[in-house]
Amino acid sequence: MALEDKKRIESLDPRISRAHLSGGNHEDMTGLLHFQTYEVFHQNKRGAQHKHVGIVHAPNSDMALLYAKEQYARREQTANIWVAPSSCISATEYADDDIFTTTPEKLYRNPATYKVMDRIQAFKERGMTPSDEV
Amino acid sequence: MYGNAYIDPNEKFSSEEETPELLAAFQARIDAGDKIEPQDWMPAMYRKQLIRMIEQHAHSEIIGSLPEGTWITRAPGFRRKLALMAKVQDEVGHAQLLYSAAETLGKSREDMMNDLITGKSKYSNIFNYPALTWADSAVIAWLVDAGAIVNQLANSKGSYGPYCRALERICYEESFHLKYGHDNVVHLATGTKKQREMVQAAMTRWWTPLMHFFGPSDKASVHSDTLMRWKVKMASNDAMRQQFMDMYIPKIWDLGLTLPDPLLKKNTETGLWDYTEPDWEEFKRVINGDGPCNAERLAVRRMAEENGRWVARAINNEEAEHVRPFA
Amino acid sequence: MNNIDALKELLYKMADDQLIIGHRNSEWNGLGPILEEDIAFSSMAQDKMGQSEHLYNLLNQLGEADADTVAFTRNAPQFHCSHLVELPIGGYDFSLIRHFLFDFAEYLRFEALKTSAYQPLAQVAKKFFGEVKYHTMHANTWVYQLGHGNEESNGKMQESLNFAWDYALGMFEPGPAEEMLINENIFIGEEALQAKWLEVVIPLLEKSNLVIPEKSSWAPIYGGRTGNHTAHLQPLLSEMTEVYSIDPSADW
Repeated sequence: MALEDKKRIESLDPRISRAHLSGGNHEDMTGLLHFQTYEVFHQNKRGAQHKHVGIVHAPNSDMALLYAKEQYARREQTANIWVAPSSCISATEYADDDIFTTTPEKLYRNPATYKVMDRIQAFKERGMTPSDEV
Repeated sequence: MYGNAYIDPNEKFSSEEETPELLAAFQARIDAGDKIEPQDWMPAMYRKQLIRMIEQHAHSEIIGSLPEGTWITRAPGFRRKLALMAKVQDEVGHAQLLYSAAETLGKSREDMMNDLITGKSKYSNIFNYPALTWADSAVIAWLVDAGAIVNQLANSKGSYGPYCRALERICYEESFHLKYGHDNVVHLATGTKKQREMVQAAMTRWWTPLMHFFGPSDKASVHSDTLMRWKVKMASNDAMRQQFMDMYIPKIWDLGLTLPDPLLKKNTETGLWDYTEPDWEEFKRVINGDGPCNAERLAVRRMAEENGRWVARAINNEEAEHVRPFA
Repeated sequence: MNNIDALKELLYKMADDQLIIGHRNSEWNGLGPILEEDIAFSSMAQDKMGQSEHLYNLLNQLGEADADTVAFTRNAPQFHCSHLVELPIGGYDFSLIRHFLFDFAEYLRFEALKTSAYQPLAQVAKKFFGEVKYHTMHANTWVYQLGHGNEESNGKMQESLNFAWDYALGMFEPGPAEEMLINENIFIGEEALQAKWLEVVIPLLEKSNLVIPEKSSWAPIYGGRTGNHTAHLQPLLSEMTEVYSIDPSADW
């Protein structure tokens, strides 16, 4: 008994005092359940893209939506939220990110590389004569 | 079946050995200012240190909600009550974000929670001290959060993507904590005689724990050099402590409050603050479990998890597939 | 009793209910059973507290003291809250059942008040309707899942429902000026509200695999609206005002 008394926690927090806790227990808490994870996608306003913002732990998608609202939309303006189980996400490998390396070099998709004004100017300056008749 | 861990603790994350080539490529990525993502190859020590650091940070948030929580049912007036509730809520939310970041490295939240409750992993020592009065909660909200922000801003420039992303959100959300704490301290310090006495007493009580907050001077070692090079550790304890002192001591003195260290002054030659070394033996004692509130903090967390057991058991989906989150 | 007094009576009981349940639910902050749930429950407690402050501000416009004074200086006999909200938080089962029973009542009360002839109250009802709607979604999701969870969770929820039911009926204690409020189109009255509430909560509870106590046994627990409270309220108030009352004239 004396040992028990010694372990009894006196708290300054009235909420904790009411719980009558004892300290000194270092046993493992086996079998804890924090559920699987859901990836959360947040849309700040209609018309905007949903953006990945993080995860929540939840037992099912209904709960995941309830939690995503509070964890990722309690500050931000929000129009809509999606959740998807993390196990449903597929991703490319970072180790294979060289599959993307030449993309920025493919300038034929870059509108800024289409410069016709010089050509039109030269055409006008030579009296709009066909190139093979100059 | 879910065995309480995403991965076997003995699982090798990579089949590849830590060859000089892999290490050099890893270092080159960090030197180039690129972030490391969870699926990247990384040295085992990098993974281990990050788990330890992010997990401790998460524990510090969840345990850190308790000293201020002491006053949640007694906050004076609507404005303070609502702000304190929101602040404690944010701390739980930040724990969630940080546990999530640590999970991407392969340790489950269940395992992290168990290691917290059984005392296997640590949290910030400062939360082992009691918030004796309302004014203590004000000093915590201002200065402990200020210290945390110095630390978090440094770490947000680190190399691990998920940790940086979590810290970015956390720093954004915590900007109001600091303002709330300062506003609260200012109201007490410029208020009635009684209020002033309360806040001075609290300031005196919290000074030593605040000086302990950034930890003892780091000794130069190969270990900490490596962590600095990998951008796991971003600034020395002393540098962060000096930064904190530089930013906040003038603000404390500005309110006519005193700090219990006669040596405290900015050295005009070195540009650094002179101070009395706090009692580092006390620091060690408290961090090893013998502080005023260690037992209570862990017992409360244990209670919360115990209270959650029947709830979780009832709604858990046993068929659900558990994977490491991507980001 | 004139119009203004009747209106004040309505505002006081709503605000006091919100303040006290908000305070009770804030007791879970940082101690909740699941991290994510802790965050959600705290938000709802903040919402309740914020709603009560708005209603106290309306009372202030009608000549009552400011919100802080009203909330932090009255004693139990001056409070108009129902007994349901005063009860200690108990286990999570009770806190969830109370949240369910209270929030559906508040949702329906706000829905009715959206068209109140008293414009300031109609505006408050419209402004906070979304908050209360989320509270009912949260409550119903939980009650449904724990009702269907396993034997243990169903048993706990059923026991809490049995315990809470008569207290919940006590929320609809008629006021002294029901007819005046109805005739002036300020509020539909407690009797009509209770009927709507029963229509909504009974099917939801049944869908959640829970059994409504036998109607013949219903015995609403009244008294809160007239200042007769359970033994739990005064200690709650003493705790809530502990710092404020060090010096009520100080700026905290």
